[in-house]
Formats: sequence, C-alpha cells, structure tokens
Amino acid sequence: MAILFSSCKKEATRWHSDWVVPVLTDTLSLSNLYNDSTLSVSGSQINIDLSRTLLDLGLSDLVKIPDTTISQQYQANFTVSNVSPGFTFVNSVKTHALDLGDIQLKKVRVQSGQIELKVYNPLNTAVLYQIELPGVSQNGQVFVQNYTVAAGTVQNPTIATESINLSGYEIDLGGQQGLEFNKIQSKLTLKTDPNGQTVSIYNNQVFKYEASFKNLRFDYAKGYFGSTLLADQQQFTLPYLDKITNGSLSLPDLSLDLQVENGFKMAVRAQIEQMNATNTQGQSVSLNAPSIGPSMFLAPAVGSWNTLQPSSLVLHFDANNSNIKNYIENLGAYQNIAYQLQPNPWGNTSAGHDEAFANSRLRLKVSAQMPMALNADALTLQDTFALDLAQDLNKTHVTAATLLLDATNAFPVACDIVLYFMKDGQIMHTVVADAQLASATLGQIDPQDGLLKKKSKIKIVLPPALVADLQDLNQVAVSAAFATTDPTTGLAVQQSIQANAFLALQVQLQLQTQLRP
Amino acid sequence: MRYLFILFLAVTQFAQAQQTILLDTYGHYNSTGVRRQIPDAFFYGGLIDSSQISQSLTKLSARNAFGLQMGFNAQWQTPWVVSKDSKKWGSGYRWVLGAGIQQYGGIQFSKDLFGLVFQGGLPYMGDTLDMSNLRVEATTFAKIGMGLVNTTTQSSFLVHFVAVQNHIAAALQKGTWLQYPSSAQIDLALQGQAQFSGSSPAAYGVAFDLDYRFGSAENEETEQQFQFLVQNFGVARSTQTTQYNLSGSFQYAGFSFAQWQQASVNSLTNGFLDSLGYQKSTVSSWILLPAQFQLAKVINWDSPQRLDAYYGAQFMLRQTYTPLIYAGAHYKVKKAWQTGLGMAYGGFGGLRVQAYSAFHFKRSQLLLRSDNIALQNGASLYLQFRCDF
Repeated sequence: MAILFSSCKKEATRWHSDWVVPVLTDTLSLSNLYNDSTLSVSGSQINIDLSRTLLDLGLSDLVKIPDTTISQQYQANFTVSNVSPGFTFVNSVKTHALDLGDIQLKKVRVQSGQIELKVYNPLNTAVLYQIELPGVSQNGQVFVQNYTVAAGTVQNPTIATESINLSGYEIDLGGQQGLEFNKIQSKLTLKTDPNGQTVSIYNNQVFKYEASFKNLRFDYAKGYFGSTLLADQQQFTLPYLDKITNGSLSLPDLSLDLQVENGFKMAVRAQIEQMNATNTQGQSVSLNAPSIGPSMFLAPAVGSWNTLQPSSLVLHFDANNSNIKNYIENLGAYQNIAYQLQPNPWGNTSAGHDEAFANSRLRLKVSAQMPMALNADALTLQDTFALDLAQDLNKTHVTAATLLLDATNAFPVACDIVLYFMKDGQIMHTVVADAQLASATLGQIDPQDGLLKKKSKIKIVLPPALVADLQDLNQVAVSAAFATTDPTTGLAVQQSIQANAFLALQVQLQLQTQLRP
Repeated sequence: MRYLFILFLAVTQFAQAQQTILLDTYGHYNSTGVRRQIPDAFFYGGLIDSSQISQSLTKLSARNAFGLQMGFNAQWQTPWVVSKDSKKWGSGYRWVLGAGIQQYGGIQFSKDLFGLVFQGGLPYMGDTLDMSNLRVEATTFAKIGMGLVNTTTQSSFLVHFVAVQNHIAAALQKGTWLQYPSSAQIDLALQGQAQFSGSSPAAYGVAFDLDYRFGSAENEETEQQFQFLVQNFGVARSTQTTQYNLSGSFQYAGFSFAQWQQASVNSLTNGFLDSLGYQKSTVSSWILLPAQFQLAKVINWDSPQRLDAYYGAQFMLRQTYTPLIYAGAHYKVKKAWQTGLGMAYGGFGGLRVQAYSAFHFKRSQLLLRSDNIALQNGASLYLQFRCDF
C-alpha cells in the first residue's frame, strides 16, 4: 500500500532560471584604511603620517573629590519653652575635612557636578533654614540657600530636598585662614516661622541638613596633586594586521616618535618600560632603543588657561638608534606598551602651588612617518565570516553559482583570492579564483587621471557539490594573498603607491535557480 | 464554462417528471499562447524544460491570457409545487434547491513577464522588459440556495448564500525591468495594487442564478428555443482584505562595503520597498463574484432532424476573461446517442475544437464534453448527469 501511495505522490513542479545579481559596487582608496592617518601627497607618491594617542589624562583623571556628604545639625541641650515666632536659635559654622589621600587641594573650580541638600525639621512649626557654604562662591557670591520647611515631628521630621548645579562655582578648600587644605566650611542658621505659633524646643529634636557633593569634575585646581605612581600596560590590536596569516612585508626606512606631553603645572616623571609587538604567527619583537627603560623628567607647564604651554618630551626612533624597521615589519597586530607616569616625583616642592587648567592634559602619543611603499611577498590576509545560506532543496533553491569580480586596480599589488567554505571550523570546500587580481604595474597609464591601472575579470565558480552543501556550511574564510611583483622579473620588489590610488570593485553573483512554486 | 449545461433539455418530457436531480462537474484551463505542457506541470507536477519554455515564448504575443475554471454543482428540483391551487401562478412552479463550489483563476500577462519568470534575468540583460497590464484574478467560493423552477418552460431562479474561501485581485498598470549588461544594475519601476482575502471563509455574500428560456412554444418541435443564463451574479463582503500598493522605482547596482557592514538584509529590503512606494493596509471590501452570462440556442432532443446547428455566446464579469463565442453541428446518431462537433473562440484562449456526446437512457441523461480536443493550449472535461423520476 505504501508503494502504491508513494507512486501516486505528485512530483514537484519546477523549472530552471538564470539570474545575475549585483552584490557589491565600491571603490577603495587609502582613506578607507585608517581614519586617524593623514595621507599627504608628495609628487606622485603618498606619505603616511600616522598619529595615535595612546594615553590622554585630564584634570578629572588626576584630581578627584569622591562623592562626599557633609552634615551639620543642632540639638538643644535642654528644653526651651515659649519660643516666639521669628526667633533665631542657631547660627554656627562648621569645618569639614575631605579625605583626598596624598592630594592637598586649596582651590578648585567646578566644571560639572551638583550638590544635593536635604533638610530635616522636627519642630511643630515651620522653620526657616539658611545654609551657607562660606568657601563656595560664584562670581563673588557665596553659596547660600534658604528653605522654609513645614512643621514636623521628632518621629517624622519634614524633609526638604533640592539638587543644585554647581557648574562654575569655585570652592576654597583653605579653611578659615586660607592656610589649610581639603577643608570646606558650612554655616547653619535656623529661625522659627515669623508667622507661626509660639512653640517649645525640646532636647530630643534634631535640626540638621546634609549636603552631598556628587559627580564633581573640575576645570581648575590648585594645591599639591600628590605623587601617586601611574603604572600601566596598554594593549591594543592594529586592524587588518591581525588577519595576516602568511607572507612578509618590507617597508622603506621610517621613523617613529613617542611624545610625552605635560600640561600640568607640576613636574612629571615618565618611563617607557617596554614596547613589544606580536604578529599572528606568534613572533614577538621588542623595540630596542636607549630611551626605552630609563626615567625621563618633564618640567611643569608654564602659563595659565589660554596661555598654557605644556612641556613635552619626544622619544625619536629610527634606523640609526633602534630596531624600529624590524619592529614594524614584524607586522605585530598585538601591541603592548608598559609605562610609568608619576607626578611630583620629588614631593611637594611647589609648596602646594601645583596648578591644572581645563586644557591641561598628560598625553602619550605615537606618530610615524613613512612613504607609502611596500614590498609584499605572498602577504596573506585571511578573515572568516559567518555564513547562513541554508536552503531547502525541496523548495526554490540555487543549483549553481558563480561570483564575477570586475576590478580596476591602481595599486601596485596583485592579489590571489581563495575561499574556504567551512562547517564548524573544518574546511569542506576550497574554491580558487580563476585568475589573479592583477597589479597596476601590469597596466597602462590612463590619460584621464594619469594613474597606472589594470583591469581584471575574475570568476569564482562555486561547484555544484558546494552549492548542494550550502545548507550545512556555516563559515567562509576569505584569503587574499598580496604580492608586489615586478612585472619583468616576477620577483617581489618594493613598489610605491601612486597618489590617489584606488581599487574599484564590482561583484556580481550569477545564479542558476530551480524554482518550485 | 458551462454553456452546454442545457444543450439537451428535452422540455416536453421533463414537464412530466415529478422531481429531477442534476449533477455536473467540470474543469478546464486554457491559454492564448502558453503551451499545455507548462500548466500540466503545475497540475500534475514535473520539470518544465527549457525547450517547452522557449516554444511557449515563440507563440506568445505581447498580451496573453491563461485561465482556469473548476467546479461542482448539484441541483434538486423538488416535487413540491409552490401552490396546489391550480388557479394561482405558483401552481406552475416547483421548489428547487442548489449547491456548488466554484473556482475561477485568470491571469493576463505580457510575453516579457513570462520570459523573466521562467527564464530569469540573464537572457534579457540589456532589454527593457515590459510587465505592464498584468492582471491576476482568482476566486474560490461555495454556494447553497433555493429557488423556483417553472415546470413548463424549465426556467428557474435561485438565490444563494455564498461563502468566499479566498479572493485575489491584483493589477500592475505599469512595470518595467531593465538590467544593464556591464554592471548588472537593475532598474525596476512598478505601479500597481493587489487585494487578498485569504482567511477561510474570507467573505460572505449573496448571489442569484437565472435560467430563462424563451422562443417557440415548447411543443412546436420545429421552432427554436433559446436560453439566457445568469450564474453567480452577486457580491460578498470581506472585512479583512489585505491591500498592497506599489508606486515607485529603484535602481540597484550592488551595495558598498559600508552598506553591507552597517545594514541588515531586512533594512536593505525595506529600503527597496520604500523606493517602490510599498504600502500595506487592511480594509473592508466588496468582492464581485465571477458572474457568467450566456445566451445560447437550445437543442431539442426530440427534433426529427438528424443534423442541427448549435451556437451561443458567453461572457463573465472578469477582466481576465474575454467574451466567448461558439458554434457547431449537432448530429443525432440515434435517439439514445447524439453528438456534436464545433469550434469555440475566446474565454482564456484562441480558436479550438470542441466535441460532445450525450446519452439518453430511460430516465436519465449523461453528457460528456471537451472544449479542447484540437488546436488547443489547454485541457477541458465536462460531465453532466441528469435524472428524472
């Protein structure tokens, strides 16, 4: 019976059709590669001016006041009866000490942050609170806040809260005489409601306020900024270099500068302990130079605000004083730099007169200059992408596919393309392009723009077995092997990259489909 | 096409019957140009090979049609008269009950669209394909109803309650496709709309059938009798019709690296649809049922002539259906077997040959007919059984 029924099953209606689908149209130039690089054209050649900031510390990174709450309260020692309306019964000043470690601040100006005030009234009549922070002022006006807090009880005091933006306020932390540091004063004045009733103040009634400084950032600070050691290891990966799987690259002579910049009015000790880079094959090269290792000292910046002149120290590396060329040609994708920075290495020698402004920065920058020329010998970049082309062979599906690549190359680099189709990391199919993406050196000068160009048409045929397996494949690795081959000798030679060089790509997908409605 | 339903209504004898059961079923498809192998592959399955597609393409004109009709109908002409009082008009009418299920599908399309669908875009690189004036209409519905039949003339009138299972009405007023050979860039411009009522049942409505006989008196064997037939004339109301509109164009030449990296396939697809002015909404709509109107000569079974002519004309309330005319010769082999051969033109196809045979038994008739026995791009089969007792 099963055979009988299966023989009656309707065969699927199907037919084949052929399509060409444009997939990619783009033009790549060097501006696509690094957005923090400056490419300058010198004659018909391109120079790279690579600049990258490795460390950038500002005032808020060095000088911080953690979120701090100060509180002041009044509690009568004995019962005061028949307190008439409008009676002032507290008028006292309190000094608070801030815990800032070895930092001794005398004055700061708030760039951003706020103070949250919370006032408690346990009295059975309204109380006028005046909260004054004598050291906190803006444009000469001392910070004063007045609140009329409704009547409360000892068990349930009435609470008034308010958040006040402190941006632009100056905070004098020198105490009453101005000779101290990390000190802030507050003054609390309490007065019963002038229009209220006569009341009694009992000794279990606590009148208090709390002032919480939150998220304070400063654009000016004066004092002693301490001498806490900043030691760190910065690790970063250079894009594209981590995709190199094989081959070598030879570059022209180049130089590299490491610049330490001190925009604070305090002395700084800097030390580059180590720089090394590891490539994708696991080979590491350390940068060796006389300036790697020893401590260097930077003088305080001079000037103030807009006239601030940072002091700086430049560590120059070139072929004469280092192995910088080997370091770069190792194509180390994984860069590692260990450094130390220490403010005030000799202690408080300025007698608390360190200063920092809004534009004060402590920076570590790297910059490299080199002509854009290279010698690539089978330099292979490989990247793996997730693949999700599952198709149901019982429905409309692709039966054959060919990638058509139409390229115009103005770079002096040829490229061989191989695709590896994988399932869970295991290569199931390898597809090799039928031709090489030819180097511009094999082409002719285009009179329109004066560039040497070469057109290539490349076919990458996905065999039927691969197409049939598409639903099982989940990764594709694209491998591109670059070579700067001399067109006459066939050997890899150093080639300069033309100004305005580009690679124009058009990728089309030619498909044969079996349609099953 | 049911225009031979009543080809053999021998009126005189039916007037004496107490009750009648009429069953008919039919199914046929046809096209102005598409070769039969292609629709056959859709009905029976199988591979449509490229040669069949090429042969169809050579036969297609700029505008083409393909259509399909299937159905089953049952009618019981009861023995109960409307009035037993012979003086009243109702004494000449009997109650009749009817039910049926019908399917209509029709499409008008351009040669270019057929080529694009069945061959793909590759063979047409560089050609501007005109897909304009595409029209698709499809309706499936069931009906059940009752009415009256005149016992003398066999004229009848039935009112049906209709349940529409699905309904599609789509039209593309303008449509062009151009793919450039060098870059494979696709330029697509579309302007059209479509309505789908798909949940089952999608709509309810009312329709009536009218079978009106006129001509000579029924006992005059030498005079002609004609039939004016209206079937499924009515409307249904759908409250959940999905309506799509397209009015726009886009050019696609591939995306840049940045677009591939930043956008998802969904967002890219939505971008295409936005360019095409795609809109989707749910509305209430009236569905005009595929009503059929027919005017035909009725063959007299008891005619003394051995050779007779038959002819008629038919049209439907569907834009994908062109008016159909037919004519042919009827031959009385013997009283129990009569047959005919003729030509038909219109409907979904061009000129083709039709043939039938009718067998008359003591109290029943069986009719077999095909409207596509030669010159055809389709297939056709019609069966009718009538029993009087």
